[in-house]
Amino acid sequence: MRCEETITRFVDDLKGSLGVPERRELAVHLASCPACRAQTEGLSQTWEQLAGIPEVQADSAAMRVHFQVMLADNVRQSARIPPSRGCIRSWLERHVSSQPLLQVCAAVLLLLAGIELGREMRPSGSSDVPALSQEVHNLQQTVALSLMQQDSASERLRGVNWSNQLDHPGNEVAAALIGALMHDANVNVRLASIDALTRFAERGVVRSAAIQALDVQSSPLVQMALIDFVVETQNRGAIGALRRLAQDNTVEMSVRTRAAWGVEHLEAV
Amino acid sequence: MAVSDEALMRAVRGGELPRLGVLFERYHLILFEFLSRVTGSRHVAEDLVQEVFLRILKYRATYRDDARFEAWMYGIARNARADYFANREKVVPLSQEAFQSPHRGPAPEAQIEQQRQSALLQIALMQLREDDRELIVLARYREMKHEDIAELLGINQGTVKVRLHRALKELRDTFMQRLERPLCDVKRP
Repeated sequence: MRCEETITRFVDDLKGSLGVPERRELAVHLASCPACRAQTEGLSQTWEQLAGIPEVQADSAAMRVHFQVMLADNVRQSARIPPSRGCIRSWLERHVSSQPLLQVCAAVLLLLAGIELGREMRPSGSSDVPALSQEVHNLQQTVALSLMQQDSASERLRGVNWSNQLDHPGNEVAAALIGALMHDANVNVRLASIDALTRFAERGVVRSAAIQALDVQSSPLVQMALIDFVVETQNRGAIGALRRLAQDNTVEMSVRTRAAWGVEHLEAV
Repeated sequence: MAVSDEALMRAVRGGELPRLGVLFERYHLILFEFLSRVTGSRHVAEDLVQEVFLRILKYRATYRDDARFEAWMYGIARNARADYFANREKVVPLSQEAFQSPHRGPAPEAQIEQQRQSALLQIALMQLREDDRELIVLARYREMKHEDIAELLGINQGTVKVRLHRALKELRDTFMQRLERPLCDVKRP
Protein backbone atom coordinates (compact mmCIF):
# COMPACT_ATOMS: atom_id res chain seq x y z
CA MET A 1 0.00 0.00 0.00
CA ARG A 2 1.34 3.40 -0.97
CA CYS A 3 1.24 6.54 1.20
CA GLU A 4 -1.17 8.29 -1.22
CA GLU A 5 -3.71 5.57 -0.74
CA THR A 6 -3.88 6.20 2.98
CA ILE A 7 -5.85 9.39 2.31
CA THR A 8 -9.00 7.73 1.00
CA ARG A 9 -8.61 4.71 3.29
CA PHE A 10 -8.20 6.95 6.32
CA VAL A 11 -11.21 9.10 5.43
CA ASP A 12 -13.30 5.97 4.94
CA ASP A 13 -12.09 4.74 8.29
CA LEU A 14 -13.13 7.98 9.97
CA LYS A 15 -16.64 7.45 8.65
CA GLY A 16 -16.58 3.81 9.68
CA SER A 17 -17.06 2.66 6.12
CA LEU A 18 -13.79 0.78 5.67
CA GLY A 19 -13.96 -2.97 5.20
CA VAL A 20 -12.00 -5.32 7.45
CA PRO A 21 -9.30 -6.28 4.89
CA GLU A 22 -8.74 -2.65 3.90
CA ARG A 23 -8.56 -1.65 7.49
CA ARG A 24 -5.95 -4.28 8.16
CA GLU A 25 -3.91 -3.05 5.20
CA LEU A 26 -4.13 0.50 6.49
CA ALA A 27 -2.99 -0.59 9.95
CA VAL A 28 -0.03 -2.49 8.48
CA HIS A 29 1.00 0.56 6.46
CA LEU A 30 0.68 2.93 9.39
CA ALA A 31 2.76 0.62 11.56
CA SER A 32 5.59 0.83 9.06
CA CYS A 33 5.29 4.50 8.00
CA PRO A 34 5.93 7.05 10.79
CA ALA A 35 4.94 10.04 8.60
CA CYS A 36 1.52 8.64 7.68
CA ARG A 37 1.02 7.45 11.24
CA ALA A 38 1.74 10.88 12.72
CA GLN A 39 -0.57 12.58 10.27
CA THR A 40 -3.49 10.20 10.67
CA GLU A 41 -3.18 10.24 14.45
CA GLY A 42 -3.32 14.03 14.45
CA LEU A 43 -6.27 14.17 12.08
CA SER A 44 -8.13 11.51 14.04
CA GLN A 45 -7.65 13.54 17.17
CA THR A 46 -9.00 16.69 15.49
CA TRP A 47 -11.92 14.69 14.12
CA GLU A 48 -12.77 13.57 17.65
CA GLN A 49 -12.31 17.06 19.06
CA LEU A 50 -14.85 18.42 16.58
CA ALA A 51 -17.49 16.58 18.58
CA GLY A 52 -16.60 18.80 21.55
CA ILE A 53 -17.74 22.03 19.87
CA PRO A 54 -21.05 22.69 21.57
CA GLU A 55 -24.19 22.73 19.52
CA VAL A 56 -26.01 26.06 19.38
CA GLN A 57 -29.52 25.73 20.74
CA ALA A 58 -32.25 26.72 18.33
CA ASP A 59 -35.32 28.66 19.35
CA SER A 60 -37.55 26.08 17.79
CA ALA A 61 -40.81 27.65 18.99
CA ALA A 62 -39.99 31.02 17.42
CA MET A 63 -38.85 29.38 14.20
CA ARG A 64 -42.06 27.39 14.08
CA VAL A 65 -44.18 30.50 14.53
CA HIS A 66 -42.33 32.38 11.79
CA PHE A 67 -42.68 29.42 9.51
CA GLN A 68 -46.40 29.12 10.19
CA VAL A 69 -46.88 32.82 9.47
CA MET A 70 -45.00 32.49 6.21
CA LEU A 71 -46.90 29.34 5.26
CA ALA A 72 -50.27 30.82 6.13
CA ASP A 73 -49.49 33.86 3.94
CA ASN A 74 -48.61 31.59 1.05
CA VAL A 75 -51.63 29.34 1.53
CA ARG A 76 -53.89 32.38 1.61
CA GLN A 77 -52.31 33.82 -1.51
CA SER A 78 -52.50 30.56 -3.39
CA ALA A 79 -56.16 30.15 -2.41
CA ARG A 80 -56.87 33.53 -4.01
CA ILE A 81 -55.02 32.80 -7.23
CA PRO A 82 -57.09 30.87 -9.76
CA PRO A 83 -55.48 27.76 -11.21
CA SER A 84 -53.00 28.51 -13.93
CA ARG A 85 -54.32 28.22 -17.43
CA GLY A 86 -50.92 28.56 -18.99
CA CYS A 87 -50.68 24.90 -19.96
CA ILE A 88 -54.09 24.80 -21.61
CA ARG A 89 -53.47 28.06 -23.37
CA SER A 90 -50.11 27.01 -24.70
CA TRP A 91 -51.52 23.67 -25.85
CA LEU A 92 -54.32 25.47 -27.66
CA GLU A 93 -51.90 27.90 -29.19
CA ARG A 94 -49.68 25.12 -30.42
CA HIS A 95 -52.36 22.84 -31.78
CA VAL A 96 -55.45 24.84 -32.51
CA SER A 97 -54.85 28.52 -33.12
CA SER A 98 -53.70 28.19 -36.69
CA GLN A 99 -56.56 25.95 -37.81
CA PRO A 100 -60.05 27.60 -37.89
CA LEU A 101 -62.00 24.32 -38.17
CA LEU A 102 -60.22 22.93 -35.17
CA GLN A 103 -60.91 26.18 -33.32
CA VAL A 104 -64.65 25.76 -33.80
CA CYS A 105 -64.56 22.10 -32.83
CA ALA A 106 -62.48 22.88 -29.77
CA ALA A 107 -64.86 25.66 -28.75
CA VAL A 108 -67.87 23.34 -29.04
CA LEU A 109 -66.10 20.58 -27.14
CA LEU A 110 -65.05 22.97 -24.39
CA LEU A 111 -68.60 24.33 -24.16
CA LEU A 112 -70.05 20.82 -23.82
CA ALA A 113 -67.39 19.85 -21.34
CA GLY A 114 -68.12 22.99 -19.35
CA ILE A 115 -71.85 22.27 -19.23
CA GLU A 116 -71.19 18.68 -18.17
CA LEU A 117 -68.73 19.77 -15.53
CA GLY A 118 -71.22 22.30 -14.23
CA ARG A 119 -73.86 19.60 -13.88
CA GLU A 120 -71.43 17.30 -12.15
CA MET A 121 -70.33 19.88 -9.69
CA ARG A 122 -73.59 21.64 -8.87
CA PRO A 123 -75.24 19.14 -6.50
CA SER A 124 -72.30 18.74 -4.15
CA GLY A 125 -70.43 21.93 -4.87
CA SER A 126 -66.66 21.93 -4.93
CA SER A 127 -65.38 19.88 -2.02
CA ASP A 128 -61.80 21.09 -2.33
CA VAL A 129 -62.41 24.79 -1.86
CA PRO A 130 -64.18 24.60 1.52
CA ALA A 131 -61.61 22.05 2.71
CA LEU A 132 -58.77 24.33 1.71
CA SER A 133 -60.47 27.33 3.29
CA GLN A 134 -60.92 25.39 6.51
CA GLU A 135 -57.28 24.36 6.43
CA VAL A 136 -56.19 27.95 5.90
CA HIS A 137 -58.46 29.08 8.69
CA ASN A 138 -57.08 26.49 11.10
CA LEU A 139 -53.58 27.45 10.19
CA GLN A 140 -54.25 31.15 10.73
CA GLN A 141 -55.81 30.42 14.08
CA THR A 142 -52.83 28.30 15.11
CA VAL A 143 -50.49 31.08 14.09
CA ALA A 144 -52.42 33.67 16.08
CA LEU A 145 -52.47 31.49 19.18
CA SER A 146 -48.79 30.60 18.86
CA LEU A 147 -47.77 34.20 18.46
CA MET A 148 -49.75 35.21 21.53
CA GLN A 149 -47.70 32.77 23.60
CA GLN A 150 -44.32 34.15 22.59
CA ASP A 151 -41.90 35.76 25.04
CA SER A 152 -41.44 38.80 22.85
CA ALA A 153 -44.10 41.49 23.33
CA SER A 154 -43.89 42.47 19.67
CA GLU A 155 -44.64 38.89 18.68
CA ARG A 156 -47.60 38.76 21.05
CA LEU A 157 -48.84 42.03 19.62
CA ARG A 158 -48.52 40.49 16.19
CA GLY A 159 -50.56 37.54 17.40
CA VAL A 160 -53.34 39.77 18.67
CA ASN A 161 -53.38 41.69 15.40
CA TRP A 162 -53.26 38.43 13.48
CA SER A 163 -56.44 37.32 15.25
CA ASN A 164 -58.24 40.26 13.61
CA GLN A 165 -57.67 38.62 10.25
CA LEU A 166 -59.57 35.49 11.18
CA ASP A 167 -62.94 35.21 9.53
CA HIS A 168 -64.53 33.00 12.14
CA PRO A 169 -62.31 32.94 15.21
CA GLY A 170 -62.97 30.11 17.62
CA ASN A 171 -63.40 30.17 21.37
CA GLU A 172 -59.68 29.47 21.81
CA VAL A 173 -58.88 32.80 20.20
CA ALA A 174 -61.36 34.65 22.41
CA ALA A 175 -59.90 32.92 25.47
CA ALA A 176 -56.35 33.83 24.42
CA LEU A 177 -57.37 37.47 23.92
CA ILE A 178 -59.03 37.57 27.33
CA GLY A 179 -55.86 36.07 28.78
CA ALA A 180 -53.82 38.79 27.08
CA LEU A 181 -56.15 41.50 28.40
CA MET A 182 -56.03 40.21 31.96
CA HIS A 183 -52.44 39.10 32.31
CA ASP A 184 -50.14 40.44 29.62
CA ALA A 185 -47.29 42.47 31.04
CA ASN A 186 -47.21 44.80 28.08
CA VAL A 187 -49.70 47.69 27.89
CA ASN A 188 -49.73 47.73 24.10
CA VAL A 189 -50.67 44.07 23.97
CA ARG A 190 -53.48 44.65 26.48
CA LEU A 191 -54.75 47.64 24.47
CA ALA A 192 -54.65 45.67 21.23
CA SER A 193 -56.49 42.78 22.85
CA ILE A 194 -59.35 45.13 23.82
CA ASP A 195 -59.69 46.18 20.19
CA ALA A 196 -59.54 42.59 19.05
CA LEU A 197 -62.19 41.55 21.55
CA THR A 198 -64.71 43.96 20.05
CA ARG A 199 -65.82 41.32 17.57
CA PHE A 200 -66.52 38.92 20.42
CA ALA A 201 -68.44 41.51 22.42
CA GLU A 202 -71.70 39.61 22.23
CA ARG A 203 -70.21 36.66 24.08
CA GLY A 204 -71.02 36.56 27.77
CA VAL A 205 -67.53 35.49 28.76
CA VAL A 206 -66.04 38.54 27.05
CA ARG A 207 -68.54 40.90 28.69
CA SER A 208 -67.71 39.43 32.09
CA ALA A 209 -63.99 39.63 31.43
CA ALA A 210 -64.27 43.31 30.50
CA ILE A 211 -66.03 44.05 33.81
CA GLN A 212 -63.44 42.09 35.73
CA ALA A 213 -60.64 43.88 33.88
CA LEU A 214 -62.07 47.27 34.91
CA ASP A 215 -61.49 46.25 38.51
CA VAL A 216 -57.94 44.98 38.09
CA GLN A 217 -56.30 47.05 35.38
CA SER A 218 -54.27 49.96 36.71
CA SER A 219 -52.89 51.48 33.52
CA PRO A 220 -54.87 54.66 32.70
CA LEU A 221 -54.62 53.92 28.98
CA VAL A 222 -56.08 50.46 29.42
CA GLN A 223 -58.73 51.76 31.81
CA MET A 224 -59.85 54.39 29.29
CA ALA A 225 -59.97 51.83 26.50
CA LEU A 226 -61.99 49.45 28.69
CA ILE A 227 -64.48 52.15 29.58
CA ASP A 228 -65.00 52.93 25.91
CA PHE A 229 -65.27 49.21 25.21
CA VAL A 230 -68.05 48.54 27.73
CA VAL A 231 -69.92 51.66 26.65
CA GLU A 232 -69.68 50.85 22.94
CA THR A 233 -70.80 47.31 23.55
CA GLN A 234 -73.61 48.57 25.83
CA ASN A 235 -72.46 46.33 28.63
CA ARG A 236 -74.79 47.43 31.41
CA GLY A 237 -73.27 44.88 33.72
CA ALA A 238 -70.23 47.15 33.89
CA ILE A 239 -72.07 50.01 35.60
CA GLY A 240 -71.00 48.88 39.07
CA ALA A 241 -67.34 48.58 38.09
CA LEU A 242 -67.47 51.99 36.41
CA ARG A 243 -68.95 53.53 39.56
CA ARG A 244 -66.16 52.08 41.67
CA LEU A 245 -63.63 53.47 39.24
CA ALA A 246 -65.25 56.91 39.22
CA GLN A 247 -65.14 57.05 43.01
CA ASP A 248 -61.61 55.70 43.45
CA ASN A 249 -59.30 58.50 44.58
CA THR A 250 -56.21 56.60 43.56
CA VAL A 251 -57.29 56.56 39.94
CA GLU A 252 -56.28 59.34 37.57
CA MET A 253 -58.83 62.12 37.28
CA SER A 254 -59.25 61.73 33.52
CA VAL A 255 -60.12 58.05 34.02
CA ARG A 256 -62.57 58.83 36.81
CA THR A 257 -64.29 61.46 34.66
CA ARG A 258 -64.50 59.04 31.77
CA ALA A 259 -65.90 56.33 34.06
CA ALA A 260 -68.58 58.71 35.32
CA TRP A 261 -69.45 59.49 31.72
CA GLY A 262 -69.70 55.75 31.06
CA VAL A 263 -72.10 55.24 33.95
CA GLU A 264 -74.35 58.00 32.66
CA HIS A 265 -74.25 56.62 29.18
CA LEU A 266 -75.03 53.03 30.13
CA GLU A 267 -77.81 54.02 32.51
CA ALA A 268 -79.47 55.83 29.65
CA VAL A 269 -79.39 52.73 27.43
CA MET B 1 -45.73 4.06 8.06
CA ALA B 2 -44.69 7.67 7.77
CA VAL B 3 -45.18 9.42 4.47
CA SER B 4 -41.87 9.85 2.69
CA ASP B 5 -40.26 13.25 2.31
CA GLU B 6 -40.52 12.91 -1.42
CA ALA B 7 -44.25 12.15 -1.33
CA LEU B 8 -44.83 15.15 0.91
CA MET B 9 -42.82 17.40 -1.38
CA ARG B 10 -44.74 16.17 -4.40
CA ALA B 11 -47.96 17.01 -2.56
CA VAL B 12 -46.62 20.49 -1.78
CA ARG B 13 -45.68 20.90 -5.41
CA GLY B 14 -49.20 19.84 -6.34
CA GLY B 15 -50.67 22.63 -4.22
CA GLU B 16 -51.09 21.03 -0.81
CA LEU B 17 -49.00 23.71 0.80
CA PRO B 18 -49.84 22.94 4.45
CA ARG B 19 -48.04 19.61 4.08
CA LEU B 20 -44.81 21.56 4.05
CA GLY B 21 -45.43 21.83 7.78
CA VAL B 22 -44.57 18.15 8.16
CA LEU B 23 -41.30 18.65 6.30
CA PHE B 24 -40.57 21.68 8.44
CA GLU B 25 -41.02 19.61 11.58
CA ARG B 26 -38.72 16.94 10.21
CA TYR B 27 -35.97 19.20 9.00
CA HIS B 28 -35.91 22.62 10.62
CA LEU B 29 -33.62 21.59 13.47
CA ILE B 30 -31.37 19.57 11.18
CA LEU B 31 -31.09 22.54 8.85
CA PHE B 32 -30.51 24.85 11.78
CA GLU B 33 -27.62 22.76 13.04
CA PHE B 34 -26.06 22.65 9.58
CA LEU B 35 -26.46 26.39 9.05
CA SER B 36 -25.38 27.41 12.54
CA ARG B 37 -22.24 25.27 12.22
CA VAL B 38 -21.49 26.67 8.78
CA THR B 39 -22.26 30.32 9.51
CA GLY B 40 -21.22 30.39 13.17
CA SER B 41 -24.27 32.46 14.02
CA ARG B 42 -27.51 31.36 15.61
CA HIS B 43 -29.44 34.37 14.33
CA VAL B 44 -28.21 34.01 10.78
CA ALA B 45 -29.01 30.31 10.90
CA GLU B 46 -32.55 30.98 12.10
CA ASP B 47 -33.08 33.53 9.32
CA LEU B 48 -31.69 31.14 6.77
CA VAL B 49 -33.92 28.27 7.87
CA GLN B 50 -36.92 30.51 7.18
CA GLU B 51 -35.42 31.51 3.87
CA VAL B 52 -34.90 27.89 2.88
CA PHE B 53 -38.54 26.98 3.52
CA LEU B 54 -39.69 30.12 1.76
CA ARG B 55 -37.62 29.12 -1.26
CA ILE B 56 -38.97 25.58 -1.13
CA LEU B 57 -42.44 27.05 -1.45
CA LYS B 58 -41.41 29.55 -4.08
CA TYR B 59 -39.57 27.03 -6.25
CA ARG B 60 -41.74 24.01 -5.48
CA ALA B 61 -42.58 23.61 -9.15
CA THR B 62 -38.93 22.85 -9.88
CA TYR B 63 -38.85 19.81 -7.61
CA ARG B 64 -38.26 16.75 -9.78
CA ASP B 65 -39.87 13.38 -9.11
CA ASP B 66 -36.54 11.59 -9.07
CA ALA B 67 -34.87 14.02 -6.66
CA ARG B 68 -34.16 13.06 -3.09
CA PHE B 69 -35.83 15.74 -0.99
CA GLU B 70 -33.01 16.09 1.52
CA ALA B 71 -30.38 16.62 -1.16
CA TRP B 72 -32.63 19.13 -2.95
CA MET B 73 -33.26 20.97 0.32
CA TYR B 74 -29.55 21.13 1.16
CA GLY B 75 -28.91 22.53 -2.29
CA ILE B 76 -31.39 25.31 -1.54
CA ALA B 77 -29.80 25.86 1.87
CA ARG B 78 -26.34 26.22 0.34
CA ASN B 79 -27.61 28.74 -2.20
CA ALA B 80 -29.47 30.67 0.48
CA ARG B 81 -26.33 30.79 2.59
CA ALA B 82 -24.22 31.95 -0.35
CA ASP B 83 -26.76 34.64 -1.28
CA TYR B 84 -26.95 35.80 2.31
CA PHE B 85 -23.23 36.46 2.49
CA ALA B 86 -22.86 37.65 -1.10
CA ASN B 87 -23.85 41.22 -0.30
CA ARG B 88 -22.33 41.39 3.12
CA GLU B 89 -18.85 42.24 4.27
CA LYS B 90 -16.62 39.25 3.99
CA VAL B 91 -15.97 38.54 7.61
CA VAL B 92 -15.77 35.20 9.23
CA PRO B 93 -18.84 35.07 11.41
CA LEU B 94 -18.03 33.83 14.85
CA SER B 95 -20.57 33.18 17.50
CA GLN B 96 -19.85 34.36 21.00
CA GLU B 97 -21.30 31.05 22.05
CA ALA B 98 -17.91 29.59 21.20
CA PHE B 99 -16.49 31.31 24.22
CA GLN B 100 -19.32 30.63 26.57
CA SER B 101 -19.08 27.84 29.02
CA PRO B 102 -22.05 25.52 28.93
CA HIS B 103 -21.73 25.16 32.68
CA ARG B 104 -22.38 27.75 35.33
CA GLY B 105 -20.01 28.16 38.23
CA PRO B 106 -16.39 27.12 38.51
CA ALA B 107 -15.25 24.24 36.36
CA PRO B 108 -12.33 21.91 36.93
CA GLU B 109 -9.09 22.93 35.25
CA ALA B 110 -9.21 20.10 32.74
CA GLN B 111 -12.72 21.09 31.78
CA ILE B 112 -11.69 24.70 31.27
CA GLU B 113 -8.83 23.58 29.05
CA GLN B 114 -11.19 21.39 27.06
CA GLN B 115 -13.58 24.30 26.59
CA ARG B 116 -10.71 26.52 25.51
CA GLN B 117 -9.65 23.98 22.94
CA SER B 118 -13.20 23.62 21.65
CA ALA B 119 -13.43 27.40 21.28
CA LEU B 120 -10.13 27.51 19.40
CA LEU B 121 -11.18 24.64 17.19
CA GLN B 122 -14.37 26.46 16.33
CA ILE B 123 -12.38 29.55 15.47
CA ALA B 124 -10.16 27.45 13.25
CA LEU B 125 -13.24 25.89 11.66
CA MET B 126 -14.69 29.30 10.92
CA GLN B 127 -11.42 30.31 9.28
CA LEU B 128 -11.56 27.54 6.74
CA ARG B 129 -12.76 28.23 3.24
CA GLU B 130 -16.53 28.04 3.13
CA ASP B 131 -16.67 24.92 1.00
CA ASP B 132 -14.14 23.13 3.22
CA ARG B 133 -16.07 24.08 6.33
CA GLU B 134 -19.28 22.91 4.74
CA LEU B 135 -17.71 19.58 3.88
CA ILE B 136 -16.57 19.00 7.45
CA VAL B 137 -19.97 20.00 8.83
CA LEU B 138 -21.76 17.62 6.48
CA ALA B 139 -19.38 14.75 7.18
CA ARG B 140 -18.86 15.23 10.91
CA TYR B 141 -22.00 16.80 12.30
CA ARG B 142 -24.59 15.73 9.78
CA GLU B 143 -22.87 12.34 9.57
CA MET B 144 -23.60 12.16 5.88
CA LYS B 145 -22.17 9.32 3.85
CA HIS B 146 -19.60 10.19 1.23
CA GLU B 147 -21.99 9.20 -1.52
CA ASP B 148 -24.67 11.56 -0.19
CA ILE B 149 -22.19 14.40 0.08
CA ALA B 150 -21.05 13.66 -3.45
CA GLU B 151 -24.65 13.80 -4.69
CA LEU B 152 -25.26 17.05 -2.86
CA LEU B 153 -22.11 18.77 -4.09
CA GLY B 154 -22.25 17.31 -7.56
CA ILE B 155 -18.79 15.73 -7.34
CA ASN B 156 -17.60 12.14 -7.20
CA GLN B 157 -16.90 10.25 -4.00
CA GLY B 158 -13.15 10.18 -4.58
CA THR B 159 -13.10 13.96 -4.73
CA VAL B 160 -15.15 14.14 -1.55
CA LYS B 161 -12.58 12.01 0.29
CA VAL B 162 -9.60 13.96 -0.97
CA ARG B 163 -11.23 17.30 -0.19
CA LEU B 164 -12.33 16.14 3.24
CA HIS B 165 -8.81 14.99 4.04
CA ARG B 166 -7.37 18.28 2.85
CA ALA B 167 -9.93 20.31 4.80
CA LEU B 168 -9.28 18.34 7.94
CA LYS B 169 -5.55 18.84 7.58
CA GLU B 170 -6.03 22.56 7.05
CA LEU B 171 -8.26 22.67 10.11
CA ARG B 172 -5.73 20.88 12.25
CA ASP B 173 -2.85 23.12 11.12
CA THR B 174 -4.83 26.29 11.92
CA PHE B 175 -6.00 24.84 15.21
CA MET B 176 -2.46 23.88 16.28
CA GLN B 177 -1.22 27.40 15.50
CA ARG B 178 -4.05 28.84 17.59
CA LEU B 179 -3.39 26.44 20.40
CA GLU B 180 0.04 27.97 20.99
CA ARG B 181 -1.50 31.39 21.57
CA PRO B 182 -3.64 32.55 24.47
CA LEU B 183 -7.36 32.96 23.77
CA CYS B 184 -7.28 36.72 24.28
CA ASP B 185 -4.89 37.03 21.32
CA VAL B 186 -7.49 35.69 18.96
CA LYS B 187 -8.56 38.36 16.53
CA ARG B 188 -11.41 38.14 14.20
CA PRO B 189 -10.17 38.41 10.68
